[in-house]
Amino acid sequence: MAQLLTKRKLFWQITLALVVLMVVVLCCSLIGTKQISLKSVFARAGQPNTINPDYEIFMHVRLPRIFLACIVGAALACSGVVFQAILRNPLADPYILGISSGAGLGTIIAVISGLSLPILGNSPIAIFAFIGAIGTIWLVWFIGRLAGKSNVTGLLLAGVVVNAFFSAIIMFLTSIAKSQQIYATIFWLMGNISEESIFVLWLAAGLTIAGIVALFYISPQLNALCFGADEARSMGIDTSRTQLIAFAVAALITSIAVCLSGLIGFVGLIVPHGVRLVFGPDHRRLLPLSAITGAIFLTAADTLARTIVAPAQLPVGVVTAIAGGPFFLFLLIRYTRKIGWLNK
Amino acid sequence: MKKWWYLLAAFICWVVAGFSIFDFLPAQNSIAARPYQEISRIISTAPNITEILFAVGLEEKITGVTSDSTYPASAAEKQNIGNFWQPDIEAIIAAKPNLVVTLGFPLYPQQQNLADRLRRFGYNSLTVFNTEKVSDLFDAIEKIGIATQRQGQANALAADIKQKLDRIGFLVAEKEKVRVLYVVQRNPLRVAGRDTFINEMIELAGGENAIGATIQKYPPISSEQLIACNTDVIIEPTMGQENAELLEQSGLQYWSRFKNIPAVKNKRIYVVADDAISQLGPRLPEGVETITRCLKPELFENQQ
Repeated sequence: MAQLLTKRKLFWQITLALVVLMVVVLCCSLIGTKQISLKSVFARAGQPNTINPDYEIFMHVRLPRIFLACIVGAALACSGVVFQAILRNPLADPYILGISSGAGLGTIIAVISGLSLPILGNSPIAIFAFIGAIGTIWLVWFIGRLAGKSNVTGLLLAGVVVNAFFSAIIMFLTSIAKSQQIYATIFWLMGNISEESIFVLWLAAGLTIAGIVALFYISPQLNALCFGADEARSMGIDTSRTQLIAFAVAALITSIAVCLSGLIGFVGLIVPHGVRLVFGPDHRRLLPLSAITGAIFLTAADTLARTIVAPAQLPVGVVTAIAGGPFFLFLLIRYTRKIGWLNK
Repeated sequence: MKKWWYLLAAFICWVVAGFSIFDFLPAQNSIAARPYQEISRIISTAPNITEILFAVGLEEKITGVTSDSTYPASAAEKQNIGNFWQPDIEAIIAAKPNLVVTLGFPLYPQQQNLADRLRRFGYNSLTVFNTEKVSDLFDAIEKIGIATQRQGQANALAADIKQKLDRIGFLVAEKEKVRVLYVVQRNPLRVAGRDTFINEMIELAGGENAIGATIQKYPPISSEQLIACNTDVIIEPTMGQENAELLEQSGLQYWSRFKNIPAVKNKRIYVVADDAISQLGPRLPEGVETITRCLKPELFENQQ
C-alpha cells in the first residue's frame, strides 16, 4: 500500500461511500413487515385529514429508526478506531474502558430509584445511562493518569478493573432488586434500536458528526500515535493533548450511541478492522470511511433484525455478531497477506 | 486552531437550526390523532386485554390482537400484530387503530415503550394493568369501559366477576387454610411470592402461600427453604405450549427427592394447564376455582 493519499482521492472515496450509504438507506426504508412503496407513501401527501398508514410508517417509524442506526453505527465505528489507535490494542472496542458497565449502572440506578418522569421527551433511563457512561470514562481516565502520563497499559487496566467492579455492582443490584424492575434494565441493556423523536435525533446527529470531524482533524496525530507515544513525541506531536482530545471525543460519541440504543456489540470492533484491512491504516481515510461503513453496516443489520423473524424482532446485536463475524474472518484471511496489522 | 472554531460555529448553527425547524418538544399534531371520535378500531397488545375487550362486547370493534391471544377462540380471526413481548409497531399503524390498549410500566417496559412511541406519533393509547394485583383487573375493566363508552357492560362484567369470587369465598369460608407453593419453574426452583396476584388467587381459593415475605416477586428458593416451607400442596402451571402430562411425568422423579414434604408424601402435586391462572383477566374466578379444586377437592366431590 505505497500509494499516496491525495485530497482528491480521499474526497472521491468519501463521496462514493456516502452514495452507497444513501442507496442502503433507501432500500432499507422500503423493507419491512408491511410492504410499502414510495409511490403509496406520497400518494396522498398534502391532504391533511386522511390517514395514510404507509406515510405514517415510512416517516414516523422507518426513517427515524434508520437514521438512528446510522448515527449509532458511525459513532461506534469511529470510537472503535480511536480506542484501537490510542490504546494500541487490536482488541479495543468502544466499550473496553467501562462505558458499557457505567451506562448499565446508570440505567439500573434510574430503574431502582423508580424514576419514570420523562426529561425532554426522553426516558430518564437514557439520561442516567449517559451520565453513567461519561462518569465512568472520566473515572477511568483519572485513574489512568494517576498510573502515569501517556501510560496506555495503566489506562487499559484501569478500564478493565472499573468495568469488572461496576459489573459486580450491577449484578449485586439486580439480585436484590424486585424482579419487575430488572426487566426494564435487561430490556434496555440488550441493545434496542427504535424510533426516537426527531429533535433528539437531530441533536445526536449534530454531536456525532461534530465529533467525527474533530477526530478527523487529529487523524495525522493519531497516525503518529500508532507507533507509540515516544516516537510520536519525537515527531514533535503533543501526545497528551492528542490523547485527551481523542479520548474525550470518542467517549462522548460512544456515550451518545449507548444512551440512544443501549449496548450494541461488535460494530465498534469489526468495522474499523474491516475498513483497515481493505483500505489501509491511514486514519485520515480510516476515520471517515469507518464512520460511513459503520452506518451502512448497522442500518443493514437492523433491517435484518426487524424483518427476519417478523412480526417479532431480534436484538440487533445478534445480527451484528452473526453476520459480521464470518464476514470479518473472510476479510482477515483475504487481506492479511497483503498488509499486516497497522503495517507492522 | 481556526478549524476548531469553525467546527464549534457549525455545531452551534446546527443546534439553532434544529430548534427553529422542529419545536423544542416533539410534535403531537399527527393526522391520526382525532380525539372524541367514536372508538371503532381497537388494538390489544396482550391476551388478558383481549379477553376484557371481548367480555365487554367489543368483538366487532377489535381490529388487531397479539398472536398469544388464544381466548376466546374467535380472537384468532383478528389481525395479528406480533406477540405481547414484541408488538410490531408497523402492523399496528397499518391497522389504522384509534385506540391501542397496552400493559403498563414497570412490569412491561417494552409495552410502555410502544405506548410512548405511539403517543408521540399522535395515536390514542390506553395503559392498563400498572401493577399485578386483583384490584388492577377491576381498574383495567373500568378504564377500558370509560375509554370505549361501554361503562354499562364494564360494570356488569366487574360485578359478575366479584359475584363469582364471592361464591367461592363462601365455599371456602371457615375452612382451614391449606399451605400451598406455586412453583413457576423447577431449575432453578422459583415460586410465586407474596406480592403477586397468584398469591391473592391462592388466598381467595382458601389457601395460604407457604413461602413468607420475600424481596423478589417470584423468588428463586433453595432446597432448604423448600423443605422449610413444609407445604401441603404444590401447584405447577404449564408455561406456553408445555405438555402437562410430560411435566407431571418428570415431576414424579424431581419431587421424589423431597420425600418429607407433606405435599410429596401425600401425593398432592397438581399440574394445571389453565391460562386463567397465569393471566390476570376476566376468567379470574375460573382460575381461582381451579386452585380451589387442588386445595380442597373434597368441596367439589358431591357436585359431580
